[in-house]
Amino acid sequence: MSSPKLERLLNLTALLLNARTPLTAERIQRDLDYPEDLSAFRRAFERDKDELRAMGIPLRVEPVPGRLPEVDGYRIPREEYALRDPGLTVDELAALHLAASAVQVEGLPTTEGLLKLGGLVADGGQNLGVQVAPLPADPNLGRLFGAVSSRSPVTMRYHEVDRKVDPYRLEFQRGRWYLTGYDHLRAEERNYRLDRIDGAVTLADGPSFSPPSTAVPGRARGAWELGGEEPLIARVRIGGPQAHWALQHVGPDHVVEEGEDGTVVIELPVTNRGAFRSFVLSFLEHAEVLSPPELRDDIVAWLGSVR
Amino acid sequence: MSGAAAKMQRLLAMVPWIAANDGPQVDEVCARFGLTPVELARDLEVMWLVGLPPYTPDALIDVVQEGDRVWIHFADLFNAPQRLTPEQAVALLTAGASVLALPGADPAGALGRGVAKLAAVLGVDAQQVLDVDLGGGGAEVLDVLRQGVAERRRVHLDYYSYGRDARTERDVDPYLVHAEDGSLYLLGHCHLAGGERRFRVDRIASASLLEATFTDREIPSERAVFQPDAMDPRVVIDLDATAAWVTEAYPVESVDAQPDGRLRVTLAVAAEPWLARLLLGLGPQATIVEGREELASAGARAAARILARYG
Repeated sequence: MSSPKLERLLNLTALLLNARTPLTAERIQRDLDYPEDLSAFRRAFERDKDELRAMGIPLRVEPVPGRLPEVDGYRIPREEYALRDPGLTVDELAALHLAASAVQVEGLPTTEGLLKLGGLVADGGQNLGVQVAPLPADPNLGRLFGAVSSRSPVTMRYHEVDRKVDPYRLEFQRGRWYLTGYDHLRAEERNYRLDRIDGAVTLADGPSFSPPSTAVPGRARGAWELGGEEPLIARVRIGGPQAHWALQHVGPDHVVEEGEDGTVVIELPVTNRGAFRSFVLSFLEHAEVLSPPELRDDIVAWLGSVR
Repeated sequence: MSGAAAKMQRLLAMVPWIAANDGPQVDEVCARFGLTPVELARDLEVMWLVGLPPYTPDALIDVVQEGDRVWIHFADLFNAPQRLTPEQAVALLTAGASVLALPGADPAGALGRGVAKLAAVLGVDAQQVLDVDLGGGGAEVLDVLRQGVAERRRVHLDYYSYGRDARTERDVDPYLVHAEDGSLYLLGHCHLAGGERRFRVDRIASASLLEATFTDREIPSERAVFQPDAMDPRVVIDLDATAAWVTEAYPVESVDAQPDGRLRVTLAVAAEPWLARLLLGLGPQATIVEGREELASAGARAAARILARYG
């Protein structure tokens, strides 16, 4: 009880994968089980092409060599279709399966991807021990990841401005997706919140870019780093009882001094002063900005306005 | 996507795997690809009809099922699965990166190796292109909490209560560790507070397992956050339009637009330091209009205490 449509789609894929040069629609109609009536064939063929593309199959439309006037033909380049075998072992596949069952991005199922990698391998009853609320999806997430992997510049509208950006990296922090990339208009690296991108991101023309090799983040960045202001290095002293959770927040690498009573001095790169102020004030009287003077003055002036 | 397309995607993944594994067990194929043996047989039936022109028997794919094993021959065209779409790739890498970013995860373990291999065929360095932070905390603390949840054992916590700006020691029956909005939380019954409480894992300075166990384990669907009762004091605050977000982020009980464009809100106060932080954060955007004396002055007094450090 197999469906004629499934059979035709599979044979179409086989035919186009096998083709070394693009095949004309005429040839495809002849070789496969399509209606003889030309307009019925065209409708069916259009639908089939859409189905294949929706499955992510790279169906190319190219001129057929040696035909004048020019005629379009179709093929599926094998090198763009086939997944290189990642060589996953059974335990690696099981670990990916466990992670994918525990952490979901809304609306982005992981099953299809796992099937391509070798199927759903049971994880032996393991449990992550942490329940994770589904991460919010963003309509641009897939396309931006595609652009990051293929190192393709993108154009997008952000803060009312059309920009061309080399997308370097995606981050999920405090419940939101961010993109880091090189902004051609501003001629510097910037961060963007995905939910503030206006409309759809599109791939831009132009050659692929080389991402900077120096950026090894390793740790989530603080809200004080997610801004476009002139960068400053702030020194903050935090009192003993609060030092522990402050370090959980910023990471141990930022500590420049440690007192015997547990007091620490940390250094933070600041490009968002408002967020930095909120962070420091959240420690109440247990934290003090030591330098630079402009950030210290900023806190003093702000505190004078609290009523 | 049509039913045919969904079936086709599964076949395009399954056929290369069966062909490469030289007669795998039917049961294993079914488990890996989420099918019953009957569904598998039905799905594979169509492959008999797939091949290349002129579609003579020698140009068609061959499926052989014998006993509890299955073979696929002459499927060279389908000897590799389809590449992952960017959506599939980002979903899987996000899941992997999230779990690897949890405190105490082993980057050299099976998941770390799997993510690295997957990233390699995608042509990226996973650590360079994607960073997912579900929330921090001490690896040892998290281990203790997970063990406590799994074995239903009471834990002893050294906890910094942010709302009250105080460090306390308490015993908790741990129900669940969960990640939400960028933080890890422990949900449990707190014996100090005498009720269900939620604790941020990164504010637990240390945790240890106790001998006591617990059985009562009803996890409510609503997470326990501050829920004001009639006894909690109220304050009335005027907010600038730029601080309108407060009405969504805090449990305000009433909002009234004022003639000058400001918003007058009533708020139940959990603890004085909590109110002080809110007012410090808002600075000139908020003015207290009503409230008990020690609350009405909470922001200004906290500001004065901090300013004292700046001399």
